[in-house]
Amino acid sequence: MTRVLATYNIKGGVGKTSAAVNLSYLAARGGARTLLWDLDPQGASTYLFRIRPKVRGGGRRLIRLKTRPEDSIKGTDYLGLDLLPADFSYRHMDLALGGSKRPTTRLARVLAPLYKHYEYIFLDCPPSISLVSESVFEAADALLVPIIPATLSSRTFEQLEELVAGGPQVLAFFSMVEVRKSLHREVMAQLRARHVTMLGAAIPSADEVERMGVDRSVVAEIAPGGRAALSYEALWWDVKRRLDAAGARGGRGADVNGA
Amino acid sequence: MAPDAHDYLLPGQVTLADAGELLGRRLALREGATRSAERRFYDTFDGLVRAAGLEASFENGRLSLTDTGAGSGLGAGSGEVLAVADVAEPPERLLADELPSGPLRDRLKAVIDVRALLPLVHLESEVRELGVVDSDDKLVVRLALERPAVITRSGRRIALRARVRLFGVRGYGEELAEVREALADLGLARAEHTVLDEAVLAAGGLLGGVSSKIEVELSAGERSDVAGAAVLGRLLEVIEANLPGTIADVDAEFLHDFRVAVRRSRAVQRELKGVFPPVQLAFHRGELRWLQQVTGVSRDLDVYVLEFDDFRASVPEQFRADLDPLLAVLRGRRLTARREMVRELRSDRAREAMTSWGAFLARLSALPEEGRPDAARPIAEVAGERISKVYRRMLRMGRAIDASTPPEAYHELRKKGKELRYLLELLGAPLFPGEVVKPMVRSLKALQDVLGRHQDREVQVATLRSLAEEVSALTGGAAALMAMGLLVDRLLIDERAARGEFAQTFHEFASGEQRKLVKDTFS
Repeated sequence: MTRVLATYNIKGGVGKTSAAVNLSYLAARGGARTLLWDLDPQGASTYLFRIRPKVRGGGRRLIRLKTRPEDSIKGTDYLGLDLLPADFSYRHMDLALGGSKRPTTRLARVLAPLYKHYEYIFLDCPPSISLVSESVFEAADALLVPIIPATLSSRTFEQLEELVAGGPQVLAFFSMVEVRKSLHREVMAQLRARHVTMLGAAIPSADEVERMGVDRSVVAEIAPGGRAALSYEALWWDVKRRLDAAGARGGRGADVNGA
Repeated sequence: MAPDAHDYLLPGQVTLADAGELLGRRLALREGATRSAERRFYDTFDGLVRAAGLEASFENGRLSLTDTGAGSGLGAGSGEVLAVADVAEPPERLLADELPSGPLRDRLKAVIDVRALLPLVHLESEVRELGVVDSDDKLVVRLALERPAVITRSGRRIALRARVRLFGVRGYGEELAEVREALADLGLARAEHTVLDEAVLAAGGLLGGVSSKIEVELSAGERSDVAGAAVLGRLLEVIEANLPGTIADVDAEFLHDFRVAVRRSRAVQRELKGVFPPVQLAFHRGELRWLQQVTGVSRDLDVYVLEFDDFRASVPEQFRADLDPLLAVLRGRRLTARREMVRELRSDRAREAMTSWGAFLARLSALPEEGRPDAARPIAEVAGERISKVYRRMLRMGRAIDASTPPEAYHELRKKGKELRYLLELLGAPLFPGEVVKPMVRSLKALQDVLGRHQDREVQVATLRSLAEEVSALTGGAAALMAMGLLVDRLLIDERAARGEFAQTFHEFASGEQRKLVKDTFS
């Protein structure tokens, strides 16, 4: 059974790509065949894996099932972890989706033939509310939502829960946390009290997370045993536990038609 | 499909450090870990894992299934691990169903089904991992310099030639081809075998395991006694090869393959009876029949236990758990039957039945031809005659069947059908054109499936009835009886359905076209 997990937030710069890259790395390291699809035209995950941001035939043809995703997938430096790269043409993905039938089912249909090869598929999503995000909500079993503990973040969270009501499981976690800031501590306590879907693990604002873009690597390699690496491990453990608890209801691979 | 070796052999005395330096002259390398690896490889008795282009191995508390390049369709030759599971100790024998549920169990089950994984070879290696990188420092090909040694069962260490193993990274096929060229330019020879195959050979094992397939080449003009002895000799090999696994209850396929080979031998004995001296033949037929009889109950109960989930699934969901007492009774009976069977199979009579049959086959063609009218006749002539005769007999039997016919008539027809199938597979396939034999086997198989279902349901209903008293005496017995009643009902419905399908499948089997083909080919 394949689990489709999307790192998503309406806002940018909150740690989506770091989460997608580090969590997919941990999934593969645990022995699960894993794919990360970099849906963001900026291609940050693709860059971190040192892979050319190029999809054969471009995004529009991929979305319309004219080309096979398998032909564009690249192996990363890590065993068991593959990447479906970003492509600059993804910036027009909304238009491509808008011009097709049942646009919100498109991403799920692109992914369907890959379920048999992967246990986890991560989607690294561009920040927006658009046809792309609606299509992601349709394809994903769970949204992994990084939240910076600051004013308005509670509001962001509530908006999102409303937006995907009845859709994928929402698993939010704190990101870019500075424990020395009392505001961060206060907001975290408040949100955890109010929302059960808020995960316990939190990702600190740390040098090694920022270094990912320079070293083009994962935190587990930049600073093994460091605060960030341990936090991502705790987060992944937490995510997996929540997915397992959601049980048979979740999971792709049997319920979506291929073509 | 035999796995391709993607490896290159290193010169005899070179150290892994020197080898790395040698490769570094031509390739941009990234240094990885250097480690000692202790791996234990597994396969089924008949080599199903290897045949699927995979390797099953245990290392550091993990059992994994690896793609050697022939199987997955995902990046061929990648050496990628398809699935893993934590297993505390290297198992001595492992069924897929014994693994925790998850991808490894699913993948493995699809490959080995009910067969058990058995230890194949134990390998200790010194491994130096390297990566070939591109101008962005992206890994494009994985390399492992490996110095392997086989550890035999007796603890002896056999060093194998050191090698460079290549693992492609998905989407970087061109780079892999370039690395191959570079290795060839450096004068390294391509390895003929994968490291696992080489280890198996070094340990004195057989590549691909022990097959129960009967593929004996025959020539049309060959004497019938020589051809018959060749086929029967191979069948005896299969019988003997599957005996130890049957006795040890390694997996259910040993007994199954043992019995199929005995049954096929009996069919050949019957159909080629004109090549044997009648008195001796009668003795050996009796002994094989005895082997068949003493293993029959065990096999039937194996099937009940193996297919119990199908039984369960055929009753409405709320009654499924109620069938547990039935399963307990079947398991208990299976163990009793096994004990009896094992005692018989270990007896002098069983050993003698096989050795004397082998010795008899070895001297068959040297025996006087008196009383063996078919002995010297060309095998194609005799086999063709038998095939058309049995086919015509089946036509007569099948035509006599209608809605009022008792079940025994179906059973008799099915037995004849098995006879024809063995004739076609063992003698028809090597002697007559495939374009005739194959479709004939296919249409026969369709008919046999229907007849088999009919017969199985009939027998299953009778078995369930015979177990009713014993089941009812157990805790939960009353509920179990109710569920068994439902089961019997489903089985009877299916038996009737099979009866309904008989006319159509027989019609195809007996079509004018088919009859003409049999006449033109075999008479």
